[in-house]
Amino acid sequence: MTDALLRIEDLTVTYGGRSLLGLRRSGVDAVKAATLTIGAGETLGLVGESGSGKSSIANALLGLVPASAGRMMFNNTDLAALRDGYPPEVRRQIQAVFQDPYSSLNPSMTVEQIVTEPLKIHTGLDPAARRDRAEDLLRLVGLAPTHLGRYPNEFSGGQRQRIAIAAALALQPKLIVLDEPVSALDVSTQNQIINLLYERRDATGMSYLLIAHDLALVHHISDRIAVMYLGHIVEEGPADRVYHAPAHPYTRALLDAVPLLDPARQRARRAARRSAPVSDLPRAATGGCPYRNRCPLAMPRCRAETPPVLPVAGGGTARCFLAESDIAAHPARPEGVTAP
Amino acid sequence: MLRLIGQRLLAMVPLLLIVSVLTFSFTALLPSDPVDLIIGDRGSEEQYQMIRERLGLNEPFVTRYVTWLGQAVQGDLGTSFFNSVRVTDAVMLRMPATLSLTFASVLISVVVGLGAGVAAALRPRSWIDRLATVGATIGQAVPNFWFGLILASVFAVSLRWFPATGYVRLAEDPAGWLRSITLPALALGLSTSAAIARQVRSAMVGVLQQDYIRAARAQGLPARRVIFRHALKNALVPVVTVLSFQITVLLGGALIVEQVFAINGIGSLAVAAVRQQDIPMIQGIVLVLVLVVMAVQLATDVLYGLINPKARPA
Amino acid sequence: MKLSHVRPSTLAVVIPSVAVLATLLICALFAEWLAPYDPLQQNLMDMLQGPSAEHWLGTDDLGRDVLSRMIHGSRIAVIAAAEATGLAVLIGVPVGLFIGYRGGWWDWVTMRLVEAIVSIPGIMVAIVIIAILGTGLHRAMFALGILYSTAFLRLARSVVLTEREEVYVRSARVIGASPSRILVRHIFLNIAPPLIVQVTLTVGAVLLAEAGLSFIGIGVQPPQASWGTMLNTAAAYMELNAFLAVPPGLAIVATVLSVNLLGDVLRDSIGRGIRLPEATPVHVPASAPARSRSSEPMTPRADDALLVDGLTVTVSPKGGQPVPVVTDMSFRIGRGETLGLVGESGSGKTVTGLALMGLIGAGGRIAGGRVLLDGTDLLSLPASGLEAARGSDIAMVFQDPTTSLNPAFTVGSQIAEVLRVKQGLSRRAARDRTVELIDRVGIPRPAERADAYPHELSGGMAQRIAIARALSCGPKLLIADEPTTALDVTVQQEILDLFRDLQDDFGMAMLFVTHDLAVAADICDRIAVMYCGEIVETASVDRLFSHPRHPYTSGLLSAMPHGASGTPPLPVIPGTVPPPGSWPPGCRFASRCAHADAACAAPVPLTTAEVPGQQVRCVHAAALTLEAAQ
Repeated sequence: MTDALLRIEDLTVTYGGRSLLGLRRSGVDAVKAATLTIGAGETLGLVGESGSGKSSIANALLGLVPASAGRMMFNNTDLAALRDGYPPEVRRQIQAVFQDPYSSLNPSMTVEQIVTEPLKIHTGLDPAARRDRAEDLLRLVGLAPTHLGRYPNEFSGGQRQRIAIAAALALQPKLIVLDEPVSALDVSTQNQIINLLYERRDATGMSYLLIAHDLALVHHISDRIAVMYLGHIVEEGPADRVYHAPAHPYTRALLDAVPLLDPARQRARRAARRSAPVSDLPRAATGGCPYRNRCPLAMPRCRAETPPVLPVAGGGTARCFLAESDIAAHPARPEGVTAP
Repeated sequence: MLRLIGQRLLAMVPLLLIVSVLTFSFTALLPSDPVDLIIGDRGSEEQYQMIRERLGLNEPFVTRYVTWLGQAVQGDLGTSFFNSVRVTDAVMLRMPATLSLTFASVLISVVVGLGAGVAAALRPRSWIDRLATVGATIGQAVPNFWFGLILASVFAVSLRWFPATGYVRLAEDPAGWLRSITLPALALGLSTSAAIARQVRSAMVGVLQQDYIRAARAQGLPARRVIFRHALKNALVPVVTVLSFQITVLLGGALIVEQVFAINGIGSLAVAAVRQQDIPMIQGIVLVLVLVVMAVQLATDVLYGLINPKARPA
Repeated sequence: MKLSHVRPSTLAVVIPSVAVLATLLICALFAEWLAPYDPLQQNLMDMLQGPSAEHWLGTDDLGRDVLSRMIHGSRIAVIAAAEATGLAVLIGVPVGLFIGYRGGWWDWVTMRLVEAIVSIPGIMVAIVIIAILGTGLHRAMFALGILYSTAFLRLARSVVLTEREEVYVRSARVIGASPSRILVRHIFLNIAPPLIVQVTLTVGAVLLAEAGLSFIGIGVQPPQASWGTMLNTAAAYMELNAFLAVPPGLAIVATVLSVNLLGDVLRDSIGRGIRLPEATPVHVPASAPARSRSSEPMTPRADDALLVDGLTVTVSPKGGQPVPVVTDMSFRIGRGETLGLVGESGSGKTVTGLALMGLIGAGGRIAGGRVLLDGTDLLSLPASGLEAARGSDIAMVFQDPTTSLNPAFTVGSQIAEVLRVKQGLSRRAARDRTVELIDRVGIPRPAERADAYPHELSGGMAQRIAIARALSCGPKLLIADEPTTALDVTVQQEILDLFRDLQDDFGMAMLFVTHDLAVAADICDRIAVMYCGEIVETASVDRLFSHPRHPYTSGLLSAMPHGASGTPPLPVIPGTVPPPGSWPPGCRFASRCAHADAACAAPVPLTTAEVPGQQVRCVHAAALTLEAAQ
């Protein structure tokens, strides 16, 4: 892809590898050689369970944790090489919205201070112009200019997330990292925020890295989806293909684990599912495929070799030998998954 | 558990080294010349040089430190500048009284603090809670030596139930020891009892709101069992931490309370040493006190590991 | 903090404390004018006198007027507190901020030094410093200042370290705020409140330490009058005039107590450290009390495992009026049946579960209704009867398995304890049964796992243990409160399978509380949808998903992530859930409902819809065409 806004190549993030008293401890790789691309105006959904490393990618991209290996090419700048923090011209182009709207807003600042903070740092706007811009931003996210003087604790979770989005939009960034932006919200509020994010992206042409644990939700607004398992990107591809025809057994397990909204079909799917005994093997397998200990389709080969990145029919890649042997052997759609 | 003890012992070595460097270099800052202190104004230049040589004062600082530390490790803390008493002997002679007083007050504070704290936490905002809270607040504001004075004037001077002064060795006369230690230990234990009571109360109130307490009650376990088995064990965790921190307060307090009851412990030794600028004595006292503190902290660490499984090394 | 918001009990503490400190300050400032005598003037004719008209507090060993010495002593106290505390702040705060922010070797070395100093008894540190500097007020206070600077250093450092991890500080870094801006804007603001509290604590500690040092003769030196030196004198003449010890002692106690109390009040009122405006939600609160119109009363049936009839729960916020959180709650669960209680946060679903167990926390009250478990009204039982029923007849599994198991005991002992207490099993028998149960909930190597502590298990394993414990005595009803919400979806599926499997075996009825309609669809036979403390619709699972009759149910169904179709805009329910206390008097969903009209302003009862077993709380239910699940 030539018009890639961001190209992450072989990114590795390691925690706990700090030297203490000269004794070097071996670290834990939260992200292992991850490769991802986000095009201009595109949304990449990054999906995984807790401990999959998806938030570590976000933190590395935002410069909050150092990358221990690999490159993050953003507009021809390698972010991974910027050890001493990002220069302002990079900073203003990458913004973020975090998961918990209760702790992501400084409780001692007013909405106006929160929303204008980026403008103060990065623009020469005078206070009146900043206030005008803040009012515009609040309207854009569905709040009223009268809310400017209030404090975060006067707002509900959904409203707080709107404030966080307003602050992220203030500098008209090229990329916003959305780290589980709706998972702390109630069902009836989640879609309001999703719609807002979608509408803003359409209007401005910026890109999103959307991190979430819910494939169904991510699928709604993503162009591409990447699935992570224990630090590895196991599958990547166009959103519809990944959602409707997952190539990796883990992606499929994720989809199957979410109960269907149709009780009759859910009963049928449940009956068809073999109830596997609880595995006593560690979640993370060492050597070979990282998923093999939990994979219902694991073969002897999965223990011996690590699956390479293989192309999948319909677009994208998967790290699974099944993708190599016989794409057709997989049903085009996992049994029971709802078609939109 | 042995591994935990091993780890903690290992961690104490650098701390002890730093304390020894601090102690040694600080006392080296003492303004007066020890040789002058020893020989007075009348000494000749030769005598002066001879004593300097004997004390090793002509050696470089680092050499003096290493020599001192090497001897200290073998239990030799040097000789007093004043009465050629071995510092180790002097400290060991005084230590039992100070330690008796300190540990008696630890015992009192744990019993009183735990009782008052639990009683208060079980019935928040009841009269017993208010009484315990008010008592604890006042207890922390009362100087221990003044409380000692009051106790002495009431129970020793007026009522004559206890001796007003002096210390009886435990080995000589256990009953007399108990009588001699009761009032000072009460005086010393007051503020720590208060601190523990406050800590127990807030820890218990916090623990009683935890999910696992609610879950234990949902299992229909009797309330007493939930409180004294499930809640108390968790509430004790921060109490042990307080105790490990309070031990330095108690030891320091003991130095002062001793003076009220004319107990010949470390306190009067330290004050005399300061007045006379007796460097080896001050160094020795500090080092021994820190050793006591560390031994107690090791014990509380072990206790902590016993009641808090998360603190045990995997 | 406006004065009107301060509770009277707080004022009762603040006013005397401020009065004591003000008196102290006045005495310190105007000692020369206030003291009736020269504090140093001796009168050997009038030694050791008790209180009299000439000498209100008597005289000391040299015939000096005690009251005058007290007044002059207060000046020493103020100087001592100011000097030592000021020095401690000036040294401790900058160093703490610096090492906290800088980290690395600076931090490591400084903290080891601090640890070393702290491990020496404070008085001994002061004694050594005084040995170097010499005795006297200012030198002693310099010593104490250095000693207490360690407390400020650690405070400042820990504030920096915690604030650095706050999400809003991370946000500020993403925006591109410079380190100095973050220090000032986010960290310095938050250090002020705990700093003030620490100052009060230190002032108290300094006063006590100064008195102690002066008492043993190495602080303030005679003849200068300080409360500590006066106590030194008093100790020497205790047998001749015991009263001598009273005034200085009481002065110290009163001063330290006042400072400490003010510190406590400050700490309580500033909470986490920021002065916040009163939390007033943006929603307009309704003035009318929220009360459901009572629905038809329930009549018990023979096959009911549980029947709840007209349950109402209120919660009283601290010092406030009781607010209803659950109203007109009526439902039944048949033997072996699973009822899903579905709602968003604040809908009252969890409170309902806890109310059935008799476990609503402090401030909560069951204001009415019946809870019949197998025909017995749990609400009419005495506390001991309810305690006996819990665990044996009715049990509960909680949301977060890692917090609902006691961290201090092995998981096996927590199950065995229930068996021994509730069923009187012997230690041996309880242990055997425990291992069986752990095996039954699908945990490999059960005997070994029984000896594990909760933190050594994964979330899914811990939840299996919690389920084993809840089922250990074979209850008739199991209440499961969001038991899979804290788990990953693949683990959630395993736990749901386990619940179903165990129900086949144990035959218990289940009340399954969840916010997730899809989970409810998977596990439940029937579903009750809650909104703002009341049931708005109840029906069999199939009926609810195919023919929802309440606009809220329909809205929730179409808002589910995989219920909604294709690309945004996704269907939404406009607005937000009103919190308890601001529920409208009529239909509580009306403000967010597309179908609302004037008829919705009056309270709505739960009424049976066209199909038996389906009940709806909506006046328009019969007339509406609503969207079902996809």
